[in-house]
Amino acid sequence: MAGDLAHEAHESTRFYWMVGAVLAAVTIVEVAITFLPLPHELIVAVLMVLMVVKGAGVVMYFMHLKGDARILQAVFVVPFLLATVMILLFLLLFSQHVGIAG
Amino acid sequence: MAHSSHPGRIGTANVGSLGVDSRKLGVWTFIGSEALFFAALITTYLVFAPVNMARADAQNPKEYLDIWLTSVLAALLLASSLTMVLALAAVRRGDMKLFRVWLLATVGLGFSFLGGQVYEFTELYHHGATLSSSLFGTTFFVLTGFHGTHVLIGAIWLLSVFFKVQRYPDSPETVMDVELGGLYWHFVDLVWVVIFTVIYLI
Repeated sequence: MAGDLAHEAHESTRFYWMVGAVLAAVTIVEVAITFLPLPHELIVAVLMVLMVVKGAGVVMYFMHLKGDARILQAVFVVPFLLATVMILLFLLLFSQHVGIAG
Repeated sequence: MAHSSHPGRIGTANVGSLGVDSRKLGVWTFIGSEALFFAALITTYLVFAPVNMARADAQNPKEYLDIWLTSVLAALLLASSLTMVLALAAVRRGDMKLFRVWLLATVGLGFSFLGGQVYEFTELYHHGATLSSSLFGTTFFVLTGFHGTHVLIGAIWLLSVFFKVQRYPDSPETVMDVELGGLYWHFVDLVWVVIFTVIYLI
Protein backbone atom coordinates (compact mmCIF):
# COMPACT_ATOMS: atom_id res chain seq x y z
CA MET A 1 0.00 0.00 0.00
CA ALA A 2 2.76 2.42 0.99
CA GLY A 3 4.68 1.29 -2.08
CA ASP A 4 1.67 2.03 -4.28
CA LEU A 5 1.35 5.55 -2.83
CA ALA A 6 5.06 6.23 -3.34
CA HIS A 7 4.84 4.96 -6.94
CA GLU A 8 1.76 7.08 -7.59
CA ALA A 9 3.46 10.17 -6.11
CA HIS A 10 6.53 9.57 -8.29
CA GLU A 11 4.34 9.17 -11.37
CA SER A 12 2.39 12.37 -10.66
CA THR A 13 5.60 14.36 -10.13
CA ARG A 14 6.99 13.08 -13.43
CA PHE A 15 3.70 13.91 -15.14
CA TYR A 16 3.82 17.52 -13.87
CA TRP A 17 7.37 17.94 -15.17
CA MET A 18 6.20 16.63 -18.55
CA VAL A 19 3.27 19.09 -18.65
CA GLY A 20 5.64 21.91 -17.67
CA ALA A 21 8.06 20.94 -20.45
CA VAL A 22 5.26 20.88 -23.04
CA LEU A 23 3.99 24.31 -21.91
CA ALA A 24 7.54 25.72 -22.07
CA ALA A 25 7.97 24.32 -25.58
CA VAL A 26 4.65 25.86 -26.67
CA THR A 27 5.78 29.23 -25.28
CA ILE A 28 9.03 29.06 -27.27
CA VAL A 29 7.05 28.23 -30.44
CA GLU A 30 4.70 31.15 -29.71
CA VAL A 31 7.55 33.65 -29.55
CA ALA A 32 9.43 32.15 -32.52
CA ILE A 33 6.42 32.19 -34.83
CA THR A 34 6.05 35.97 -34.52
CA PHE A 35 9.42 36.36 -36.26
CA LEU A 36 8.53 34.15 -39.24
CA PRO A 37 7.61 35.79 -42.57
CA LEU A 38 4.04 34.50 -42.53
CA PRO A 39 0.72 36.29 -43.18
CA HIS A 40 -0.44 38.14 -40.05
CA GLU A 41 -3.81 36.35 -40.08
CA LEU A 42 -2.05 32.96 -40.04
CA ILE A 43 0.21 34.00 -37.17
CA VAL A 44 -2.80 35.24 -35.18
CA ALA A 45 -4.69 31.98 -35.80
CA VAL A 46 -1.73 29.82 -34.74
CA LEU A 47 -1.11 31.97 -31.65
CA MET A 48 -4.76 31.65 -30.60
CA VAL A 49 -4.61 27.85 -30.93
CA LEU A 50 -1.37 27.70 -28.93
CA MET A 51 -2.84 30.01 -26.27
CA VAL A 52 -5.83 27.67 -25.87
CA VAL A 53 -3.49 24.67 -25.62
CA LYS A 54 -1.43 26.36 -22.89
CA GLY A 55 -4.49 27.57 -20.99
CA ALA A 56 -6.14 24.14 -21.16
CA GLY A 57 -2.94 22.52 -19.90
CA VAL A 58 -2.79 24.82 -16.89
CA VAL A 59 -6.50 24.44 -16.03
CA MET A 60 -6.83 20.69 -16.59
CA TYR A 61 -3.54 19.42 -15.16
CA PHE A 62 -2.10 22.08 -12.83
CA MET A 63 -5.50 23.16 -11.44
CA HIS A 64 -6.76 19.56 -11.66
CA LEU A 65 -10.11 20.62 -13.14
CA LYS A 66 -10.03 17.54 -15.37
CA GLY A 67 -11.67 14.81 -13.32
CA ASP A 68 -12.75 17.19 -10.56
CA ALA A 69 -16.36 17.50 -9.32
CA ARG A 70 -18.90 18.66 -11.93
CA ILE A 71 -20.02 21.58 -9.77
CA LEU A 72 -16.43 22.89 -9.60
CA GLN A 73 -16.09 22.57 -13.38
CA ALA A 74 -19.39 24.42 -13.85
CA VAL A 75 -18.64 27.41 -11.62
CA PHE A 76 -15.47 28.06 -13.62
CA VAL A 77 -16.35 26.98 -17.16
CA VAL A 78 -19.71 28.83 -17.35
CA PRO A 79 -18.32 32.32 -16.51
CA PHE A 80 -15.21 31.55 -18.61
CA LEU A 81 -17.35 30.82 -21.66
CA LEU A 82 -19.43 33.92 -20.92
CA ALA A 83 -16.21 35.97 -20.77
CA THR A 84 -15.01 34.52 -24.08
CA VAL A 85 -18.33 35.27 -25.78
CA MET A 86 -18.23 38.81 -24.36
CA ILE A 87 -14.76 39.45 -25.81
CA LEU A 88 -15.73 38.05 -29.23
CA LEU A 89 -19.00 39.99 -29.37
CA PHE A 90 -17.32 43.29 -28.47
CA LEU A 91 -14.63 42.68 -31.08
CA LEU A 92 -17.32 41.89 -33.65
CA LEU A 93 -19.14 45.11 -32.79
CA PHE A 94 -16.19 47.46 -32.38
CA SER A 95 -13.25 45.96 -34.30
CA GLN A 96 -11.69 48.72 -36.43
CA HIS A 97 -14.38 51.07 -35.13
CA VAL A 98 -12.91 54.46 -34.31
CA GLY A 99 -16.13 56.45 -34.09
CA ILE A 100 -15.79 56.79 -30.32
CA ALA A 101 -12.27 58.21 -30.57
CA GLY A 102 -13.52 61.49 -29.16
CA MET B 1 -5.30 8.73 -12.16
CA ALA B 2 -1.85 9.94 -11.25
CA HIS B 3 -2.62 13.65 -11.29
CA SER B 4 -6.07 13.63 -9.64
CA SER B 5 -7.05 14.94 -6.23
CA HIS B 6 -6.80 12.73 -3.15
CA PRO B 7 -9.97 13.59 -1.23
CA GLY B 8 -9.36 10.78 1.25
CA ARG B 9 -6.28 12.54 2.57
CA ILE B 10 -7.96 15.94 2.88
CA GLY B 11 -9.95 17.14 5.88
CA THR B 12 -13.68 16.69 5.28
CA ALA B 13 -14.98 19.15 7.89
CA ASN B 14 -15.93 21.68 5.19
CA VAL B 15 -17.72 19.32 2.81
CA GLY B 16 -21.20 20.69 2.17
CA SER B 17 -24.40 19.28 0.73
CA LEU B 18 -22.96 19.48 -2.81
CA GLY B 19 -20.34 16.91 -1.83
CA VAL B 20 -17.37 19.21 -2.34
CA ASP B 21 -15.29 21.29 0.07
CA SER B 22 -17.15 24.58 0.51
CA ARG B 23 -13.91 26.57 0.58
CA LYS B 24 -12.80 25.01 -2.71
CA LEU B 25 -16.21 25.73 -4.23
CA GLY B 26 -15.87 29.32 -3.04
CA VAL B 27 -12.41 29.76 -4.56
CA TRP B 28 -13.49 28.27 -7.91
CA THR B 29 -16.53 30.59 -7.93
CA PHE B 30 -14.26 33.53 -7.15
CA ILE B 31 -11.92 32.48 -9.97
CA GLY B 32 -14.93 32.35 -12.31
CA SER B 33 -15.79 35.94 -11.39
CA GLU B 34 -12.15 36.94 -11.85
CA ALA B 35 -12.28 35.50 -15.39
CA LEU B 36 -15.09 37.95 -16.16
CA PHE B 37 -13.16 40.79 -14.53
CA PHE B 38 -10.06 40.25 -16.67
CA ALA B 39 -12.19 39.65 -19.75
CA ALA B 40 -13.62 43.14 -19.27
CA LEU B 41 -10.12 44.65 -19.04
CA ILE B 42 -8.85 42.70 -22.08
CA THR B 43 -11.96 43.69 -24.06
CA THR B 44 -11.37 47.34 -23.17
CA TYR B 45 -7.76 47.14 -24.38
CA LEU B 46 -8.76 45.48 -27.67
CA VAL B 47 -11.75 47.74 -28.37
CA PHE B 48 -9.71 50.89 -27.77
CA ALA B 49 -6.65 49.69 -29.73
CA PRO B 50 -7.89 51.03 -33.11
CA VAL B 51 -9.30 54.12 -31.38
CA ASN B 52 -5.86 54.78 -29.88
CA MET B 53 -4.22 54.62 -33.31
CA ALA B 54 -6.76 57.06 -34.77
CA ARG B 55 -6.16 59.78 -32.20
CA ALA B 56 -3.64 62.60 -32.33
CA ASP B 57 -1.89 61.29 -29.20
CA ALA B 58 -1.60 57.74 -30.61
CA GLN B 59 1.12 55.47 -29.25
CA ASN B 60 1.86 52.30 -31.23
CA PRO B 61 2.23 49.34 -28.82
CA LYS B 62 4.72 47.68 -31.21
CA GLU B 63 7.14 50.56 -30.63
CA TYR B 64 6.93 50.30 -26.86
CA LEU B 65 6.49 46.66 -25.81
CA ASP B 66 9.56 44.44 -25.37
CA ILE B 67 8.76 40.85 -26.41
CA TRP B 68 12.02 39.46 -25.01
CA LEU B 69 11.48 40.87 -21.53
CA THR B 70 7.88 39.69 -21.40
CA SER B 71 8.90 36.27 -22.73
CA VAL B 72 11.16 35.95 -19.69
CA LEU B 73 8.26 37.06 -17.47
CA ALA B 74 6.02 34.43 -19.11
CA ALA B 75 8.68 31.78 -18.44
CA LEU B 76 8.92 32.87 -14.79
CA LEU B 77 5.16 32.55 -14.20
CA LEU B 78 4.99 29.26 -16.08
CA ALA B 79 7.85 27.88 -13.98
CA SER B 80 6.08 29.12 -10.83
CA SER B 81 2.95 27.17 -11.82
CA LEU B 82 5.09 24.03 -12.12
CA THR B 83 6.76 24.58 -8.73
CA MET B 84 3.32 25.27 -7.20
CA VAL B 85 1.86 21.97 -8.37
CA LEU B 86 5.03 20.20 -7.23
CA ALA B 87 4.58 21.79 -3.79
CA LEU B 88 1.01 20.45 -3.69
CA ALA B 89 2.17 16.98 -4.74
CA ALA B 90 4.85 17.07 -2.03
CA VAL B 91 2.46 18.08 0.76
CA ARG B 92 -0.02 15.39 -0.36
CA ARG B 93 2.58 12.67 0.11
CA GLY B 94 3.74 14.25 3.38
CA ASP B 95 7.17 15.34 2.13
CA MET B 96 7.29 18.62 4.06
CA LYS B 97 10.90 19.42 3.19
CA LEU B 98 10.25 19.39 -0.57
CA PHE B 99 6.94 21.17 0.02
CA ARG B 100 8.78 24.12 1.62
CA VAL B 101 11.36 24.18 -1.18
CA TRP B 102 8.79 24.22 -3.98
CA LEU B 103 6.45 26.69 -2.26
CA LEU B 104 9.24 29.17 -1.52
CA ALA B 105 10.50 28.72 -5.10
CA THR B 106 6.99 29.62 -6.29
CA VAL B 107 6.95 32.77 -4.17
CA GLY B 108 10.47 33.66 -5.33
CA LEU B 109 9.49 33.27 -8.99
CA GLY B 110 6.41 35.40 -8.32
CA PHE B 111 8.47 38.23 -6.86
CA SER B 112 10.94 37.90 -9.74
CA PHE B 113 8.01 38.39 -12.12
CA LEU B 114 6.96 41.49 -10.20
CA GLY B 115 10.52 42.85 -10.33
CA GLY B 116 10.50 42.37 -14.10
CA GLN B 117 7.16 44.11 -14.39
CA VAL B 118 8.38 47.07 -12.34
CA TYR B 119 11.39 47.28 -14.69
CA GLU B 120 9.08 47.14 -17.73
CA PHE B 121 6.81 49.87 -16.34
CA THR B 122 9.81 52.07 -15.50
CA GLU B 123 11.23 51.69 -19.03
CA LEU B 124 7.85 52.50 -20.57
CA TYR B 125 7.54 55.57 -18.36
CA HIS B 126 10.97 56.83 -19.45
CA HIS B 127 9.95 56.35 -23.08
CA GLY B 128 6.81 58.43 -22.62
CA ALA B 129 4.14 55.76 -22.13
CA THR B 130 2.23 56.52 -18.95
CA LEU B 131 -1.23 55.92 -17.51
CA SER B 132 -2.44 59.17 -19.10
CA SER B 133 -0.23 59.49 -22.20
CA SER B 134 -2.68 57.77 -24.58
CA LEU B 135 -5.50 55.24 -24.75
CA PHE B 136 -2.81 52.58 -25.18
CA GLY B 137 -1.10 53.73 -21.97
CA THR B 138 -4.35 53.83 -20.01
CA THR B 139 -5.72 50.45 -21.10
CA PHE B 140 -2.31 48.72 -21.00
CA PHE B 141 -1.30 49.89 -17.53
CA VAL B 142 -4.76 49.23 -16.04
CA LEU B 143 -4.80 45.66 -17.42
CA THR B 144 -1.22 44.67 -16.63
CA GLY B 145 -1.24 46.65 -13.37
CA PHE B 146 -4.26 44.74 -12.12
CA HIS B 147 -2.59 41.48 -13.13
CA GLY B 148 0.59 42.45 -11.28
CA THR B 149 -1.51 43.29 -8.22
CA HIS B 150 -3.02 39.80 -8.41
CA VAL B 151 0.48 38.29 -8.55
CA LEU B 152 1.42 40.26 -5.44
CA ILE B 153 -1.73 39.12 -3.60
CA GLY B 154 -1.05 35.53 -4.69
CA ALA B 155 2.53 35.67 -3.39
CA ILE B 156 1.32 37.05 -0.04
CA TRP B 157 -1.37 34.33 0.08
CA LEU B 158 1.22 31.59 -0.52
CA LEU B 159 3.56 33.08 2.08
CA SER B 160 0.69 33.07 4.61
CA VAL B 161 0.05 29.39 3.77
CA PHE B 162 3.77 28.69 4.27
CA PHE B 163 3.81 30.30 7.73
CA LYS B 164 0.51 28.66 8.73
CA VAL B 165 1.91 25.23 7.84
CA GLN B 166 5.06 26.07 9.79
CA ARG B 167 2.96 27.07 12.83
CA TYR B 168 0.40 24.23 12.58
CA PRO B 169 2.21 21.35 10.82
CA ASP B 170 -0.34 18.72 11.86
CA SER B 171 -3.48 20.60 10.80
CA PRO B 172 -5.90 18.42 8.76
CA GLU B 173 -6.55 21.51 6.62
CA THR B 174 -2.96 21.76 5.37
CA VAL B 175 -3.45 20.04 2.00
CA MET B 176 -6.59 22.06 1.24
CA ASP B 177 -4.85 25.29 2.33
CA VAL B 178 -2.08 24.62 -0.19
CA GLU B 179 -4.53 23.55 -2.90
CA LEU B 180 -6.63 26.72 -2.55
CA GLY B 181 -3.61 29.03 -2.68
CA GLY B 182 -2.37 27.03 -5.65
CA LEU B 183 -5.68 27.39 -7.53
CA TYR B 184 -5.46 31.17 -7.27
CA TRP B 185 -1.80 31.13 -8.31
CA HIS B 186 -2.46 28.99 -11.38
CA PHE B 187 -5.30 31.32 -12.36
CA VAL B 188 -2.90 34.29 -12.23
CA ASP B 189 -0.62 32.32 -14.58
CA LEU B 190 -3.61 31.52 -16.81
CA VAL B 191 -4.43 35.22 -17.14
CA TRP B 192 -0.83 35.94 -18.15
CA VAL B 193 -1.03 33.20 -20.83
CA VAL B 194 -3.87 35.23 -22.39
CA ILE B 195 -2.27 38.67 -21.84
CA PHE B 196 1.08 37.50 -23.25
CA THR B 197 -0.54 36.28 -26.47
CA VAL B 198 -3.21 38.93 -27.01
CA ILE B 199 -1.33 42.05 -25.86
CA TYR B 200 2.33 41.31 -26.51
CA LEU B 201 2.56 38.76 -29.35
CA ILE B 202 -0.42 39.81 -31.53
